[in-house]
Amino acid sequence: MIGRGLGGVAALALALIAGRSAAGDDMPRPAGAPDSKAERVQSGRALYAQHCSHCHGFGMVNAGNVVPDLREFPTDNKQRFVDTVTHGKNNRMPPWGDVLSSAEIDALWAYVRTGGK
Amino acid sequence: MKRVLAAAVAALLPLWAQAQTAGELTKGASDQHNVLNYGMGYHLQRFSLIDQINKDNVKDLVPVWNYSYDDNRSEESQPLVYNSVLYVTTNSATMAVDAKSGRQIWKTKVDYPPETPRIVCCGIINRGAALFDGKIYRTTLDANVVALDAKTGKEVWRQNAIDFKTGYSMTVAPLVADGVIITGVSGAEFGTRLFIDGWDAQTGQHLWRTYTIPGPGEPGHETWPGDTWQHGGGSTWITGSFDPELHTVYWGIGNPGPFNAAVRKGDNLYTDSILALDPKTGKIKWHYQFSPNDPFDYDSVAEMILADINVDGKPTKVVMDANRNGFFYVLDRTNGRLLAANPYVNVNWASRIDLETGRPVETEITARARAGEKVTVFPSIMGGKNWEPMSFNPQKGLAYANTLNFGGHYKAIAVEYKAGDWYLGMDLADLWDWPNGPRGYLKAIEPMTGKAKWETPSDIPRFSGVLSTAGNVVFSGQLTGEFEAFDADTGAKLWSFQTGSGIEGQPITWEQDGVQYVAVSSGIGGVYSIFSGDERLKGVPAGGSLWVFALHRK
Repeated sequence: MIGRGLGGVAALALALIAGRSAAGDDMPRPAGAPDSKAERVQSGRALYAQHCSHCHGFGMVNAGNVVPDLREFPTDNKQRFVDTVTHGKNNRMPPWGDVLSSAEIDALWAYVRTGGK
Repeated sequence: MKRVLAAAVAALLPLWAQAQTAGELTKGASDQHNVLNYGMGYHLQRFSLIDQINKDNVKDLVPVWNYSYDDNRSEESQPLVYNSVLYVTTNSATMAVDAKSGRQIWKTKVDYPPETPRIVCCGIINRGAALFDGKIYRTTLDANVVALDAKTGKEVWRQNAIDFKTGYSMTVAPLVADGVIITGVSGAEFGTRLFIDGWDAQTGQHLWRTYTIPGPGEPGHETWPGDTWQHGGGSTWITGSFDPELHTVYWGIGNPGPFNAAVRKGDNLYTDSILALDPKTGKIKWHYQFSPNDPFDYDSVAEMILADINVDGKPTKVVMDANRNGFFYVLDRTNGRLLAANPYVNVNWASRIDLETGRPVETEITARARAGEKVTVFPSIMGGKNWEPMSFNPQKGLAYANTLNFGGHYKAIAVEYKAGDWYLGMDLADLWDWPNGPRGYLKAIEPMTGKAKWETPSDIPRFSGVLSTAGNVVFSGQLTGEFEAFDADTGAKLWSFQTGSGIEGQPITWEQDGVQYVAVSSGIGGVYSIFSGDERLKGVPAGGSLWVFALHRK
């Protein structure tokens, strides 16, 4: 039982990792985006401070009362992130598609996936 | 003929009932049946002579009604009351509500482009309306000034102050002074150059604009090197006070841009200053600068309270300010002469304010910050007191203010201007220096000394306005939702009620049909909840609403 149970958890974990990998980080990257993940995170952190922190809080730390706590954003759903940043959402989140390039949104995603750690 | 006259009178009556005159606005502070002015009087004292609710019976205060704003942003608006109708704003609507029943009379939505929040620095908010001549005046986040018919909510006129896209927004409640609608602007964090405008009350025609950063050829322009004046900031987002006898408006001016002071060597007039203005022309009568060449965001927009107090035994017309820079200032409002400036919170950036020159004597902390070192400075960039308005009780000579008890880490960094982007030049990592104990105190401050007669702590600081009354009661709210009443003499807590969301509103009181009412907006989402990272607020739901209280009738 225990073995089977653990095996099930492991399989699920593997599937989750695979899913995350497919939907999260390994999507084709836009032209101009840095190759190294560390560079993307660094660039994303700076872009976040400049464009996002005045609503979502410094370093993504926010009590989450009025705007979503980005540390809780599903890390396997890049498309949702890109769509929300590009087009805005619910007439609350403003659209950034005319300000940020695809490469910049890609860098923001790399940063958001770190949970600010 | 009689019939014609009767018809004419009947036609005029509703107009009379709706038409707030300049005279009524001037007497706003003593009008116990209405709340006609932002700040509960042109002097912004937020003090009421009504004493039905007093320190002995305030424990019997109960809610009368609650009105949902259908808006879950920060609710910082001060309601107005006229002839049994409350007029109140959010970022997304203007509303008229029956004062007795809490039923909505009309609601007019505010529509702004979805891009607008990109350039709003510190909360999606509005701070209230002005009432004059049958119209409600307000500003919008996308930098419009709007007049609505007070009876129907229908738009009478709308004027765009400036294109919002490069960083201009409006949250201020307009001031009506000598019949002119006066408005200010937010946006000093975006490399803007800001101003105060005058508008014709009837038509909306633009009458004047006074830039807070002087342009070429204007006095004070020499305090800005090169073209730094073009991005010099100087916001004007809190309503000024008005002395109708002196025909002078007193308006607080915000911080310079960028925060990195080395970029703009010079005094940087008129940032972090008070301007005394002629309401008809916008002409500057005098100015006083609190923090020249400020590196620390010691924005001085917050309320400039007018009072007549004894200074050295002489009755003196003064203007008072609990400045973000941690000093409590008292100036002669007839000429701008500095009378007193003493710390009301922990201050380490300046040792004192020189009363002769009016200038701060900066410490080694500020010298090191200017040299590019990382320093721990008191107060932080949130100030000794942020925007939340204090109350002045003229009977006791005390100012009741929600003060902040924390410092900040400051390091200037290089910055480049890009239209529509934050233009700060300050390292935003690791900003705060928190104390182990309370982060805020409600204090009863003596204006001439800055000393507190009493203080009552709060672990999470209060960001609510304060109201005091002749009933010896002080009202204020908590970010955790409690609306509270305190003994004006001791600071002892007398009553508390949970409003369901955090309070960042501005309490008011009025009397109708023999009953004293107290109202406050509830709704979290302002500057502290965004920038502090204080996760103790996680359990406080958003959700704006208006609460009205009165004594329980036995």
